[in-house]
Amino acid sequence: MIEAFRLGIFARGATLWDGVDHAFGDGSVSVIVAPPSSGKTTLLSILRGERQPDAGDVVVSGESIFRGRWASIRTYRASCCHVAERFSDPAGHTVEDLFRLSAVAGGGRIPEGERRERQERLLAMVGLASARDWRLSSLSASERVRAGLAAELLRGPRYLFLDGVVAAAGSPYREMLGGLFRALAREGNTIVMAERHLPERWAAAAGEGTAAGPFRVYKVSVPATSMAAGEQAGQAAPAGGGIA
Amino acid sequence: MSGPSLLWIDWRLAGRSTVRDLLFRFVLVSAASFAFLVLLLSGGSARFLASRYAITAVLRTTVSPGEGEGLAGKVAALPPVRTAVYKDPETAWREFLLAYPGLDSLRSSGGNPLPGYIEVRLRPERLTGADVERVTTALRSVSHVEKVLAGEARISRLLLVKRYAAAIAWGVFGAFAAVCLVVLVLQEKGRATALAADFAFLEERGVPAGRMAASRSAAGALAALPLAAAGVLLSGAALRYLLLRYPSLEQLVGPPGDLLLPRTMLAVAGFALCFALLAAAASLLGFRAARACR
Repeated sequence: MIEAFRLGIFARGATLWDGVDHAFGDGSVSVIVAPPSSGKTTLLSILRGERQPDAGDVVVSGESIFRGRWASIRTYRASCCHVAERFSDPAGHTVEDLFRLSAVAGGGRIPEGERRERQERLLAMVGLASARDWRLSSLSASERVRAGLAAELLRGPRYLFLDGVVAAAGSPYREMLGGLFRALAREGNTIVMAERHLPERWAAAAGEGTAAGPFRVYKVSVPATSMAAGEQAGQAAPAGGGIA
Repeated sequence: MSGPSLLWIDWRLAGRSTVRDLLFRFVLVSAASFAFLVLLLSGGSARFLASRYAITAVLRTTVSPGEGEGLAGKVAALPPVRTAVYKDPETAWREFLLAYPGLDSLRSSGGNPLPGYIEVRLRPERLTGADVERVTTALRSVSHVEKVLAGEARISRLLLVKRYAAAIAWGVFGAFAAVCLVVLVLQEKGRATALAADFAFLEERGVPAGRMAASRSAAGALAALPLAAAGVLLSGAALRYLLLRYPSLEQLVGPPGDLLLPRTMLAVAGFALCFALLAAAASLLGFRAARACR
């Protein structure tokens, strides 16, 4: 469980937000919704331990990710993945390079043959079956986030932080991603998304959400049986099951 | 995170440019090892000077060839001595005539006027004032020796030339090594800059920068060792070929057999180790420089 206590950020001589409390449970899908420039990306970077908050703390499994033991912090950060709506690619990488990089970040324990096999499966799952040799710079925003997500899933991360991914993926892939996230959550993974708006079809099931500072946090329901997720995710549920 | 997986991180992320850098390094280390071997074997100018300098022990006329040979054998056993050759009076006379033709008349008056002598040449690394003194003192104490000619008046200047020549030669080599280090650092900085986005990606996912730097540095050293060994082998083979093809070079560098002496091997192992350390240091410096530019 990721617990945020009284988080605060002070920027440009003013308080951007303060006193943000929220707990993201294991095996849950949460969507943080707020208008542009409200600090969603900053909140995600704090939750995954990349940026220290100006006030408050984040505790994972009972230990602070900023003041805890170095080994625990490293283990936590190694089990996180991060996909952003926009990411630059100065090195001119191909989609396969991204997978290779992800494998290195995961400790390089995956044999090369297995990595390729998983890569093909994951790319097919996000609708990019033949994208292996495509340059990231030539991909559309939707293709980029899906390729980025697939590459991150290669390592089987426990905590997924997705910044604007659903919006960037576009409507044809929205439900497929929703199904995939539910399938991953059923396996015990924690998925935290930041979006400007909650997708309409998700809103009905998510209810009113809870207020956390300037944000509204919605919890997307995760059906107990795999059948319901399978109905929504199509191919995603069995493929997601194979990657964790 | 497992350590070994990060060891060859550059190969995994930028294999082509890593190979290109290594090929350039191979050329660099081959040139450096050739210069190192030449310097090591020649001792700067020591070998050349040692081949030119000789101590002459003029024997008394009463010394028989057998006694001369025996004495030469004893002198050759002295540690600083490379060769001690006995020349009998007849050989001495022939050499004299070669040097001063037309003086045959000197002999007609009453036989060979020249005595036999022992020509002593020192080992290049033992061509020092103390060793010259040691050999001349040993020769002077022998009753069969009439006179010892060691060029004492000029030996100090000769040794000074030797010292300066060695200092200049090793200084030039040191400057070359420093240039190599700069080139290596620039290579590493270039690669680290090109991979900066990848390193940031890994850092974001919990891979510590220090660990990446240490792993890259260790991999740099590990890759440098076989590279240096191959470079030394290549330059050693080239030097051996040159020495066999142009025997006159032996006066400057020494015989090809010296390449396989244990002390040469030891020095070469030290050279390879130094190159590996240099590569590791260059990797660390390049990584730091690339991060500072970010």
